[in-house]
Amino acid sequence: MNRRDFFKFSYGAVGVTALVSAVGVSLAAVIRFLMPNVFYEPPQSFKIGDSADFPFGPPTFMVDEKIFVFRDRDKGFAVASAVCTHLGCTVAYFSSDQKFHCPCHGSVFAADGSVQHGPAPRALEWFEVTQARDGQLRVDKDKTVPSSYRLMV
Amino acid sequence: MNLIREIWQSIVRRDPLSTDKGKSELVFLNVWLHIHPAKVKKENMKFRHSFYLGFITFFLFLILVTTGIALMCYYRPFPPQAYQDMKDLQFVVFMGPFLRNMHRWAAHGMVVCVFLHMCRVFYTGSYKKPRQFNWVIGVLLLLLTLGLSFTGYLLPWDQLAYWAITVGTNIGSYAPLIGGQLRELLLGGHSVGEAALVRFYVLHVAVLPSLMILLTIVHFWRVRKDGGLSRPVWKLKPATDPLVTIGAPAATAPLGAKAASATKTYGLMEVVTGKPIFETVTAEEEEDTVFSYPYAFVREAVTLMATVTTIMVMSLFLNAPLEELANPAKTPNPAKAPWYFLGLQELVSHSALLGGVVAPALMVLALIAIPYIDRNPSRRPGDRKWVLGLFTFFVVANIVLIVVGTFFRGPGWAMVPPWVHVVGGAE
Repeated sequence: MNRRDFFKFSYGAVGVTALVSAVGVSLAAVIRFLMPNVFYEPPQSFKIGDSADFPFGPPTFMVDEKIFVFRDRDKGFAVASAVCTHLGCTVAYFSSDQKFHCPCHGSVFAADGSVQHGPAPRALEWFEVTQARDGQLRVDKDKTVPSSYRLMV
Repeated sequence: MNLIREIWQSIVRRDPLSTDKGKSELVFLNVWLHIHPAKVKKENMKFRHSFYLGFITFFLFLILVTTGIALMCYYRPFPPQAYQDMKDLQFVVFMGPFLRNMHRWAAHGMVVCVFLHMCRVFYTGSYKKPRQFNWVIGVLLLLLTLGLSFTGYLLPWDQLAYWAITVGTNIGSYAPLIGGQLRELLLGGHSVGEAALVRFYVLHVAVLPSLMILLTIVHFWRVRKDGGLSRPVWKLKPATDPLVTIGAPAATAPLGAKAASATKTYGLMEVVTGKPIFETVTAEEEEDTVFSYPYAFVREAVTLMATVTTIMVMSLFLNAPLEELANPAKTPNPAKAPWYFLGLQELVSHSALLGGVVAPALMVLALIAIPYIDRNPSRRPGDRKWVLGLFTFFVVANIVLIVVGTFFRGPGWAMVPPWVHVVGGAE
């Protein structure tokens, strides 16, 4: 490679590098721009009310939070997610067979959330439930717990 | 009178249409018409060869653009308002239901016609050399059509829309590594909500239509440049003149090529394309052609009118569905994706990763690769039994899955034949 060719190659390389990095950086910036800095969504951690508000027996379904609140006389409180792990449909709890049924693709979950039937890949999630200082129950959807987790109030 | 004639002449700038020169000039002096050749082969206009499916698809797209712009005047892409605007369109706006119906039925029609057009091109072997790349553009246009349908599906913000998009975007999140982030990027959040509606709206009215128009232009351009519409295989003539090159042709010339004759004068377009500007050269080929005006244009105009009329009549009698306001807490049972994704949903009901990500990704890649894998140059059905069988198998499988998903799936995605009526369903 003589000097002329070397310079030709260098100019070309500099040009191509500049173009590729400019396009790359712009593309990365656009993708980052599309990732919101703030989500205007309901908080993941919230209070659900006094323990006395919840009956024993079949779980209480909380519509907006998409959770089931279980209360057992001996063991206490547990909170299960109502979002099917398959494709995000809202499952329903059938008292008749004490199982969760998903309307979308027929997944069935046992009372402890484990998959019994259908295409769901994982068990339903259980969320941490604690008692806030004012006595209300607090659920944190960012903290998942084993299905055996219970809060005794 | 002279002034009027002068103004008219300044607009059209062509000879009278009674002359052959005028008929040619009508085409190539007009920016909108010059995508056509001045003369077309008679066989290309046979309805039985192409069923005009490409034209019908394009005309449906025109209906969608015009009705879509009209609908935009009454639509706000924010959660509760979006649904109220749909109710307004349905009950308050003059001709609102009619325009919405037209938009909906034209969209469904476009999905159907794009698919049928693809099948026609496959069965006639029209994706073969030199049209391989135009087939790829066509597959991209099919994907854009599905993308436009899918993004439009959310906009009414009713139960149907909300759950179809929830299920649909969750399928995408099964893609390994990037799936979850891709879904977040598309929705602008963790679930289908305000941010998702605005993003789908932007995609539906700006991003995807622009891409669609760009690729459609390339698609049409390539139809011309790849040798016009493909002719029925039984009308094929031996290969026409080879390309003309200045100097000896390179050993690696992609198509047949010969050096320019030293005793003949060539126009530039002959050197570039190997042919004069008319796509007909020989005397016997000349006999097979007619002027685009009026023969091709009349057929296009009739196709346009038939398409618009069909959609209008459908819109008079069939109403686009509008269910109750989207309710994130209550999943309808069964929750179904748009019908053209029900084959996918049927697969997904067995395995989300395999059915929802791997199978469709392989299918799209295979579609794109078809012209490069199938290296058999023959377009005669007798020489292509194996590929025709394979393609037919996939087409039939797709249709069967869609039919099963649409008509045979009841509450809890259980197998319920359409003639059995489920009372109440499982709650």
